Amino acid sequence: MQSRNSKNIPASWKLLDLAERLLVTIWPARLNKYVGWGFLLPALLLVGILLIGLGYIIEYSFHELDLATYRLKAEYSLTNYHTFINRPVYLHILGRTMLASIIVTIITLILAFPYAYMLVRTRSAMMRKFLLIALFLPFFIGQVVRAYGWLIILGKQGFVNSILTSIGLPELDLIYNFQAIVFGLIQYMLPFAILLIIPAITSISEDFELASEGLGANWVSTFRHVVLPMAKPGLVGSFVVVFTLTMTDFAMPEILGGGTSDFIANAIYDSFFQISNPGLGAALSVLLVAIGSIIVTAIFYFAGTGTLGIRQKTR
Amino acid sequence: MSKLSKLKADRRSILKAGTAAAGLLAMPSILMAEEKKPKEIIVRAWGGAWGDALKAGVADPFTAATGIKVRMDFTEDNEIKPKIWAAVDQGRVPPIHVNWDTTTNATISALRGATVDLSDLSNLKGLLPSAKPKGLEGYPLVNTYAYVYVCAYRPEAFPDGPPKSWNVLIDPKFKGRVALYDDGIGFNPISVLVGGGKLSDIPDHMEKGYEFYRKLKANKPLLGEDADFTTWFQKGEIDVACTISVNAREAQQKGINVKWTVPQEGCKVDTDGLWVPKGLPGNEEYWAKEFVNFALTREAQQKWCSLLGLPPVYPGIEPPKDLVGDPSYPTKPEDFKKLISIPSPVLVKNQPIWFAKFNEIFQG
Repeated sequence: MQSRNSKNIPASWKLLDLAERLLVTIWPARLNKYVGWGFLLPALLLVGILLIGLGYIIEYSFHELDLATYRLKAEYSLTNYHTFINRPVYLHILGRTMLASIIVTIITLILAFPYAYMLVRTRSAMMRKFLLIALFLPFFIGQVVRAYGWLIILGKQGFVNSILTSIGLPELDLIYNFQAIVFGLIQYMLPFAILLIIPAITSISEDFELASEGLGANWVSTFRHVVLPMAKPGLVGSFVVVFTLTMTDFAMPEILGGGTSDFIANAIYDSFFQISNPGLGAALSVLLVAIGSIIVTAIFYFAGTGTLGIRQKTR
Repeated sequence: MSKLSKLKADRRSILKAGTAAAGLLAMPSILMAEEKKPKEIIVRAWGGAWGDALKAGVADPFTAATGIKVRMDFTEDNEIKPKIWAAVDQGRVPPIHVNWDTTTNATISALRGATVDLSDLSNLKGLLPSAKPKGLEGYPLVNTYAYVYVCAYRPEAFPDGPPKSWNVLIDPKFKGRVALYDDGIGFNPISVLVGGGKLSDIPDHMEKGYEFYRKLKANKPLLGEDADFTTWFQKGEIDVACTISVNAREAQQKGINVKWTVPQEGCKVDTDGLWVPKGLPGNEEYWAKEFVNFALTREAQQKWCSLLGLPPVYPGIEPPKDLVGDPSYPTKPEDFKKLISIPSPVLVKNQPIWFAKFNEIFQG
């Protein structure tokens, strides 16, 4: 009887039974509490590999270059860190990078917020589509191509200067300077910032704004006391992403800077590739990672991780 | 059995065994020469006019002669260097078969022990002495031609004739319209001379050159790579630049009105070369070396270097018609009098220091 019954069971069921038995053997029920960690494992592995790479970079940074063999010396030293401190150019480049990161982040957030707000709140489907297309279109164009696009538009014989000279005005130096890099970076970072702010605004119910207005607040007060605080998670997330991406950017200063407005990433590149000094490049990389980490930690410390929607322990 | 018969038998056996062994030993070379041709070899090259010249002058004829395709890898020379070094150090197969490189960079790779010795190449015989790398044992690389960092200019900006001195770079009239390489390569020794120093000041007393750079910085130069100069001239961004004559000639061939000159202080002359990285499979290394050997033939040198407009290391090749008597194409001893050549060992030791100082001045 039993055998006849088992014969009647479809093959797919048998397969599922087999798979279940296999799963129980590999992952017994007592391990179920670790399922979450199991899903995290690939991500943890990736981060682990990154940390191993960082470990190597840190190790390289303590070895000086031997110019006779172009290999790092075996003995440990702080020479590369001394070079960073003793050569003002690196501090200058770091200062330029930080200044640009702050300017780009602030302007980008100022421009991104109304765009994101409009995109979420607009009642016109046409307008929403237009804003979405305008937002996503730049993603299809790489950073390098966009930078070259700016060269065409802002160059000496570019679009802008052609208009200026056609109406009798003098040519302007619009590229190969710090301002051009900042301009290019803002344009590059804007979609990132908008995409990070959109979920924050979406999560704010319009009822809050209506209630605020119903209680007599004008739009400025509503924006300041209701929308802005409630959108804080998106703003902090955008700030962190835009700031760190700008701080580590290479292509914009390389293309729009004309070679005289390098960021720290360009100095790292030059150390590794142009002067073949991986020790110095590693030291600059370590400093960049350290500074970036300190700044991000400080932001989370003052703004609180809860701003990103991460639950904090309550007493 | 007598000792003799024993010997005979042994000798016969030995002869048989020897023949068999010789056959076996010959097999790999036969296979290597006739059967173990790789499908392709990868040659790192510079793009634009540079890559076109190598393709037409060396790569295509090599493919026609051997059936082996040649793939150009346009990775920047400074970027491929650490990739090859890492592959050699880790015992991996390097990413390219032949590196077309500056002699200074190639010498650095040779010092790191990343290059294969090319001393056994048959076509090295009879080349000009400049083909031999200086300060190195054997041929870890072979120089293939010389080139000059000329003063390229737009004739419209110089109605009174070509610039006579490199001081034109600090003339406020050309503020924001002058250009150099982004590490100062090609101009580092010249800066000392134009700054009032002497040739003997190089490499230990470069301060006059650095002082000139400080003045030049005030003139807001553009700093870039080979391809940038052509683009800048094309887009009217610059009036005068220190660049390799090949780039100026490329711009000219594209219909841009650019000329070049050797100012009174002189120009730096340098060489490029070819080398093969260690760590390639035996047959691929063989054909990589054959590619280098092929590049040293009269025919390849003539076509490749004529297209580049540069004097080859193969003796007796006539310059292209447009470059006869051109100061950027030195052929006679007196032509070299206005050109400054810094030996590779000096460049290897000092170039990183010059680059760092250049960077410090222009980024500071």
